[in-house]
Formats: sequence, C-alpha cells, structure tokens
Amino acid sequence: MASVNFGFGISKPRVIDIDRNNLRKSDEILLEMPELQTCIGCGSCTASCTAGNLTSFNFRKVHALVRRGEYAGAYEEMNKCMLCGKCRLLCPRGINTRGVVMLIKRKLGDF
Amino acid sequence: MNFYAPFTLPFIIGTIILFIVLAWKYVSWFVALTHEDKRLVAKGVPSLATLRSVWEVVRESLLHVRIFRIDPRLGYMHMSLALGWFLLIAVGWIETMAYMGFAPVPLQGHVFFKYFAAQGVVTEHKPYFDFVMDLLLAFVLSGVALAWFKRFSSRSLGMRRATKHTTGDRLAMSFLWFIFPLRLVAESITVALYGGGSFLTGSCGSLLASIFGERLLSYAFEPAWWLYSIALGGFFVAMPFSRYMHIFTEIPLIFLRNYRLRPREEKGAIDYFEVQSCSRCGICIDPCQLQADLGIHDVQSVYFLRDRRYNMLKQSVANNCLMCGRCEAVCPVGINLNTLRLNSRALMRNIPNERRYGYFRDIDRSEGSGKVGYFAGCMTLLTPRTMSAMERIFEAVGDQVWWADRQGSVCCGRPLKLSGETDSAHKMMEFNRSLFHKHGITTLVTSCPICLKTFKEDYALEHIEVLHHSEYIERLIASGRLVLERGDVRYAYHDPCELGRGGGIYDAPRTVIEAVGELAEAEHNRRNALCCGSSLANTAITDGQQLKLASRVTDELEATGAATIVTSCPLCKKALQRTAKGGVRDLAEVVAEALPRK
Repeated sequence: MASVNFGFGISKPRVIDIDRNNLRKSDEILLEMPELQTCIGCGSCTASCTAGNLTSFNFRKVHALVRRGEYAGAYEEMNKCMLCGKCRLLCPRGINTRGVVMLIKRKLGDF
Repeated sequence: MNFYAPFTLPFIIGTIILFIVLAWKYVSWFVALTHEDKRLVAKGVPSLATLRSVWEVVRESLLHVRIFRIDPRLGYMHMSLALGWFLLIAVGWIETMAYMGFAPVPLQGHVFFKYFAAQGVVTEHKPYFDFVMDLLLAFVLSGVALAWFKRFSSRSLGMRRATKHTTGDRLAMSFLWFIFPLRLVAESITVALYGGGSFLTGSCGSLLASIFGERLLSYAFEPAWWLYSIALGGFFVAMPFSRYMHIFTEIPLIFLRNYRLRPREEKGAIDYFEVQSCSRCGICIDPCQLQADLGIHDVQSVYFLRDRRYNMLKQSVANNCLMCGRCEAVCPVGINLNTLRLNSRALMRNIPNERRYGYFRDIDRSEGSGKVGYFAGCMTLLTPRTMSAMERIFEAVGDQVWWADRQGSVCCGRPLKLSGETDSAHKMMEFNRSLFHKHGITTLVTSCPICLKTFKEDYALEHIEVLHHSEYIERLIASGRLVLERGDVRYAYHDPCELGRGGGIYDAPRTVIEAVGELAEAEHNRRNALCCGSSLANTAITDGQQLKLASRVTDELEATGAATIVTSCPLCKKALQRTAKGGVRDLAEVVAEALPRK
C-alpha cells in the first residue's frame, strides 16, 4: 500500500555519537586553547553578539558542536563573526573568544 | 707610491662582496616598488624633499638626534660609532689627498694609508692630521667601549633590557668591536717603528716599544695589519646579512619616506626598506607592556622584524601584540611597526574573494534623521551609559541626530583588519560607507576611538566630517552651545591608544574634562600613555594577563589621588572597570552629569 503523504514525517534523530565522530580537530583546538574546557555554556557570548543580532549565528552552539566533532558548516558559520570582541568582555570564564574564532577558522578552513 | 700589499686582500674581498650584495638588494627592491611608488619617487627627487632628506640623514644616520632625546648616553654611543667612523673615513680621504694630490688612489690606499705612507714623505701638515685622526679614533673607541659595557649592564646606559641577538648578529658585532682596537694596535706599532702619531697612537706606540722592544714589534707589524684587514673584511661580509644592514638601508628609507612612500595594508617592496632599516637597537623593548608586566620576551617589534626579515615569523609572534603604538612612538628609525605587523597578519590570514558576509545586504536599522550621525560602535553598545549620555548631550544642544546603530548594526571593520582579514574588513567598510552616504549626514560622531581611526583612515568618506565625541563636545563648549556646570571633582584621564597615539587626539578630552572638573594626569600620559590591555589587536594573551595590564594602569591612575577615572573609549572603560577601586566613567557621562538641571 502506498504511503499516504500527510505533510509531515518523522524527523531524523539528532544524536551526536562522540565515539563515532572524529575528534582529532577538536582535540587540536583544545590543545591550543585549553581554557575552552572551562566554558559553562552560559551563552553570554551569543547574547551580546553583533553578528548574532543580525543573523542566526550562534557562537555558543558552533563552539559546542565543534568540540563534539560536528564540523559540518562550522567554518561557514564562524565566518559570520565580525571579531568585534564584545563576547570576550562578557565571558564569565574569561575565555579568549576572539582567539577561539580565529583558531576554529584556521583549523577547519583552508588557512 | 705602491698601494698593494697581500694583507689588504681580506678587506678587498669583503668590500667587493658587500657591494655586490648591496647592489643586488637595492636594485631588486627598487624594481619591485609599485608603479604608484615609482611615480612618487620620480616626482620627489627634483623637489625640496631631497634636501630635507639629506639633512635628515645627517641628523639621524650620523648624529642620532632621536636617540639622544631618549637617553643622552645611548645617543652618544650610537653617534660616536656612526659619526666617528664616518669622519675617520672622510678625514682619511682628505689626508690621502693632501699627500697625493688628485692622483688616483685605490680604495685600500685610503683605508690603510698609515701603512703605505709609514716611510713616505713627511709634509708640514702631518702632525695636524695625526692629531685629528687620533682624536677621531679615540672618539670611536669610546663608543665601542660603551657598546661593550652595555652588553654587561644595559641599565647604566638607560636601557632596562637590551636585545637578545642571534648568532649571526653576535658574529658581525664581534667583527665590528674588533675593528677599532685592532686599528689602534696596528697604527701604534707602525708609529713605534716609523715615527709620527699623536697623543693616542704615539703614546700607545712608545708604550708598546718600551714593553716589547722594537725587534718584537717589527715581527708584529705585518700580522697586526692583517688582523685589522680581516676584521674589516669579515664585518663587510656579515654586514648585509645582519642587523648592520640598517646602516645602508636607513639612508634610502629616509629619502623614500620624504617622497611620501609608506607601507600599506598589503605587503609591498617598501616594506624591505622598513624591515631592514631596523638596527635591533632594542629601544622598543622597554616600553612594551607585554615585556614589562607580563614577562613575554620574544614578540617585541625588534624580534618581530627580525623574524619577518629571515622568514621565520610565526602567527603566535605576529598576533601577540597590543598595537598600542608605544614602540612606534620611540623607534629612532621611525619604522611603521604597526602597519608592518598588520600586513604580516594579512599575509597569514587574509582570504581574498571569499563570499562572506552576504547577510549585510538589506540591513538598515538606523533611526532618526539629521545632519549629524552618531555611530556608537559595538563596544559602546556594551556600555549603554555612554550612549544615553550622548543622547542627553544631543538633546541639550538640540541637534537632530541620525542614530546609525542604536539597534545594532555592522561592525566598523577595524577588528577584522587588525586580525589580518583585510578583505572581509573592506566588506564592512563598504557597507557602512554606503549607509552613511545614503542618509546624507555631514558630520559623523563616534564615541569609539577604534571606529574613529578606521573611519578616518580607511573609509574615504566624502563630505562627511568624522569626529570623536570628545572633539564634538569640545566644539559645542567652545561655541557656547553647551553650557556646563563646573564641579570640583578630580578626574584622572586615561589616554586610549587608538585615540592618542593612533589619532593624535590628546587635548580635546582634556579641555572637556577641565570644563566639568579638575584634571589629574597619570605618570604615563599622552604619547607615553599605557594601554589598558584589552586591545582588540591582541588575540593571544589570556584574560588573566589582560587583568594584569589593566591593574597597572588603574594603579597609576589612582595614584594621582583622583576619585574617578575618565576615559574616552568604551573598551578602555570596560577593561579598567575590572581593576579600578573607584568609578570609571566615559567622558560623555561626566559631561552629561554636568548639564544644568531643568
């Protein structure tokens, strides 16, 4: 029997399998910026973000995905950042966020 | 007279190598200059700029006036070596001419004239020449002694820290230091054997004769001249590959600079002149706060230029700089250190023709309309008190204001430029430029010196005057449109790097502060002011290191006894707030508070 198209379906499961993901780049990033381990994911960076104010760019999300080995589209997303540096002033853990942006772009792009 | 002797060979070979390498460098650099730069040179040569350059060469390459201003002892050391050696050569040349007339004399004949003329004719002016040459040699030797002494105790010559040199530089330096003592020995032996000489070589000669006896000295005669020649030749070979290349690069650089050639945001041939003009004197090391407060010792301009010259520059070195401009302000050669560092970063990080920032297209969140535009900048959006203070000031004077980015907008582009992504930065600049033009403003006021600098230098805005809010307020006060109530509060003013050294605006904020209260100056102020440490140019130091830099600044500002620190940069304000015990305010805030109450 042909399936009836009701206009909606089952969405693909969003499971991040860290055992399957290649964490090499993530580890390299962590090695150069060990302070990233102190990130509590509060989202101050995203709340203050100049680019995030104009687009859907979400630094906290991109960073979290990259750390878990989900690199697809991360470089393109990071390229929306204008490096203005507000996030760095707000980060409660004092993470060098501008350095993180540059590092992720360098590791995942063609620098 | 015969001017050939085997011992002159090392000198001759060294000189030939030196001139071949120099010619090759000069020609290849000049050829690589851009078309525009060559046009500037062609236009500049037959102008007054050439005469000005000659005078500047005398002042800077020989007398070292700028180093004298930094420290007289250091200035004397550099001058005695440069001017002394130059005069030794010049007077030596005249001496040869006095003996030989205008007969052609080969180069080594001039340099080793004392050797060749030892048994020659004695004219009536020989004692005078002997005296002058001895005097000059003593002058140079005093410089060598100081240079030597500085290696052990740089502090006594006014430098807390001296440059850490590479092996190649040390080799070249050793040759240089040996040249003049060896010359003294060779000439003294010659004098002891053949007579002549004055207070220096004469007395040294008789001393040597009394110790060793004439027979022994006659054996040492040839070897002494050999050693002197080897030291000269060795130095000449090492020269173009070491720090001493600056001797021959600074002179054309002075000319080119007076012809208005400047390094740009992308690498160019003019950079060779700038980079190789660095003598690695190390004067840039002491003012560097990364060195003084954080103990980072390998990123200062002297090391940056060295690494760049020998193609071993790493991103970690290029990125670790506040670009506060304190080194540029003291550089005795006047090298454009910040521009060079920027174009190094651009070479490492710029991505041309990438399709980025497509999302700018339809953004226009500006509000209001008026001839005066106000651009808060990202950082001011993070310090909303500054912006509301500006709003009250605009209201008080009744200016119609167009608010470019109160609801958020695109960054000015300077942060990306500072990190080397020049092409991306230009996309933002183009966006903002067309936004400003579209709204027909004639004055653009910004309260962020970072934006201000890029508006002035990169935007090329037509018919729009760019003002920092301190300048704008100063004008309002001067024209009587803004009346303020002067209190008796003391304010310590902190000069932001981008506004002060970066934009040359020191007086406007001070005039404004004096209109509302009493101004207190920190120990380091104006051109010498310290950086708050949070500079956008540095993407390498950690948060803790930034705090350390800021606490030194606030300590100094609080030492003035003022209760409140005033600055005119939102980034400095944020940075200093973290370590200040009292309040840190923006200039606009203290002005808005002094507005008469209605």
